[in-house]
Order: sequence, then C-alpha cells, then structure tokens
Amino acid sequence: MAPRNKYSVILPTYNERKNLPIIVWLLNDSFTKNGFEYEIIIVDDASPDNTAEIARQLQTAFPNRIILKQRSGKLGLGTAYVHGLQFATGNFVIIMDADFSHHPKFIPDMIRVQSTKDYDIVTGTRYSGKHGGVYGWDLKRKLVSKGANIFADTVLRPGVSDLTGSFRLYKKDVLEKVITKVQSKGYVFQMELMVLAKAMGYSVAEVPISFVDRVYGESKLGSSEIAEYATGVLSLWMRV
Amino acid sequence: MTRAQQTVSIGLLFASTQLYLALFLQLIPLPSIISEEIIPVLPLWALVSFGSYLLAKLGYGVLTFNDVPEAHAELMKEIDLAREDLRTKGVEVD
Repeated sequence: MAPRNKYSVILPTYNERKNLPIIVWLLNDSFTKNGFEYEIIIVDDASPDNTAEIARQLQTAFPNRIILKQRSGKLGLGTAYVHGLQFATGNFVIIMDADFSHHPKFIPDMIRVQSTKDYDIVTGTRYSGKHGGVYGWDLKRKLVSKGANIFADTVLRPGVSDLTGSFRLYKKDVLEKVITKVQSKGYVFQMELMVLAKAMGYSVAEVPISFVDRVYGESKLGSSEIAEYATGVLSLWMRV
Repeated sequence: MTRAQQTVSIGLLFASTQLYLALFLQLIPLPSIISEEIIPVLPLWALVSFGSYLLAKLGYGVLTFNDVPEAHAELMKEIDLAREDLRTKGVEVD
C-alpha cells in the first residue's frame, strides 16, 4: 500500500478571531468525514484582536492538528505562505481564505480529482459547473471580476478559467519550487503562482467551487485595487 | 509557449504583414473596389471585431455567472452548528 497522503492547510490570519474557530471546525469536519489525514498551519501576523489566543484554544480542542506560527507584524499574504510552508509535514498543501468565502466541503472533491491523473495542482473555479458560482455579488462586482479575468486570460492565456481564485491544492514540492519565483504581492500573488506553474509545465485541474463573499467584514474593491491588478497582469506579461 | 510555437507564430506574423503590405501597395493586382475600399480599413476592422468578441465574452460571462444562495444558507446553518460544538470544546466564540 502506498504511504498515506497528508494534507497541510495553510491559513494566514490577521484579525480573524471570529472566523478562525469556525473555519477550523469546518475543515476538521470535512477531513474526518472523508477519512483524510490533515494538519492546519495558522500563520498569524500579530493580530491586534488576539487571534493567536483563539488558535491556542483550538489546539486544545483539536489535539495534534493545529500548528500555530506567530509573526511579529503584518508581513503580507505571500510571505505567510512561504513561512507556513516550512512547517508543513504533509505531501500536499491547501491554500484558502480563512473567511468562509471558501468552503472546506470542496476539499474532498479536489483530492479526488487530483488522484485521477496525479495532477500537480487542483484549483477551484467560480466560473463553471452546477455548484460553481458566487453569493453576495452585485452586477458591478460580477462585471469587474469577469472583466479582470478576461483581461488576464487574453494577455496571459494560462488555460485556467479562474486565475485570481485562491482556493487551491498543490503538491508540496511543486508549491515550494514555484513560490520561490513569485515576486508580486496582494491580488496578483495567486495569479502569478498559477501562471508560473503553468509556464513550468505543471499539470492543473479545476473543480467548481461556490464563493460566499465575506460573511463578516467587508471585501474591498476600488479603483486602486483595479489599477494594482492591471499593472500586475502587465508586469507578469512582460516576464513570462 | 514552446520554441516551436514561438517560431511558427513569428513566421505567421511576418508572412501576414508581408502579404498585407503587398496588397496595400497594390503589388498584387485586385479590382480597384477591393484595393481602395477594403484593404485600407482591414486592420481597423480586425481591431473592432476583436473588441466586440471580448465584449460579447464579457456579457456572456456575466450573464452565466452563477448565483449560489443555497451555499450561503447551508453555510449559515453550519456556522451555528460549529458554534455550539466549539463552546462545548472550550473555544471562545462570539
């Protein structure tokens, strides 16, 4: 029998005191129901709301499942993944948002799809499938999202329908190799990761996911975010 | 993009520019209606068509953008369930 797969979920947190226990609960529920081995690595950027305290309570509630790594300040999402990756003991890594916009119930789907053809990466897509889609987006938000995706798709032609999505399963060694080459931060980070992985010849599969927009708190999308995104796509275009 | 694809695309680009230039400079004889009325506006036509294609794709994409209210309803129920269970496990939840 092949050695058992283990899945490491990296959750970067900043002021997620409310969300963290529930997402951990949902993750545990989804993994244990399906009999998968897992661990959760929480990378907390010194949240003022003391997210770390909640994380320690969770360590007691879910023994041997949760690794807490604290950093001294808000150092950003990209470096949080690099940091968390050092402590991952699984052979697969899952990256997702900690705010319920990504539901752990899709992880078993991703794992099943991954095993069909031993894919290097499985990415969630909001743009296809019966269960794929969004909740809580108005027409403007959909227009901007779709427009941004078509723009990136036309310029970069990655062959992936949801380039900016951030709910993904990676083989750990693949993520380790790709992440060292990523230069951008923020919105562009996920996109660059995918475009680089594709350029390096890794295989990618897609799974439809539903995206429930921030249940607590606001997600921001203004003209400065759009400008940041556009320059990010173009700089990637020059590089790959 | 592989090297082979790159070579083919550069070749195609070069060949089509040459062909267009030959047509534009009327080096290849064509009826005057084609060479005077159609050939000069061909690049503009291509640009507008490409733009329309992208706009149509955008419109279609937004129209078929799925809404998943049931995913939200399900999540809300699960959050309540999680809260109750977490309290019994000694985790603070608001």
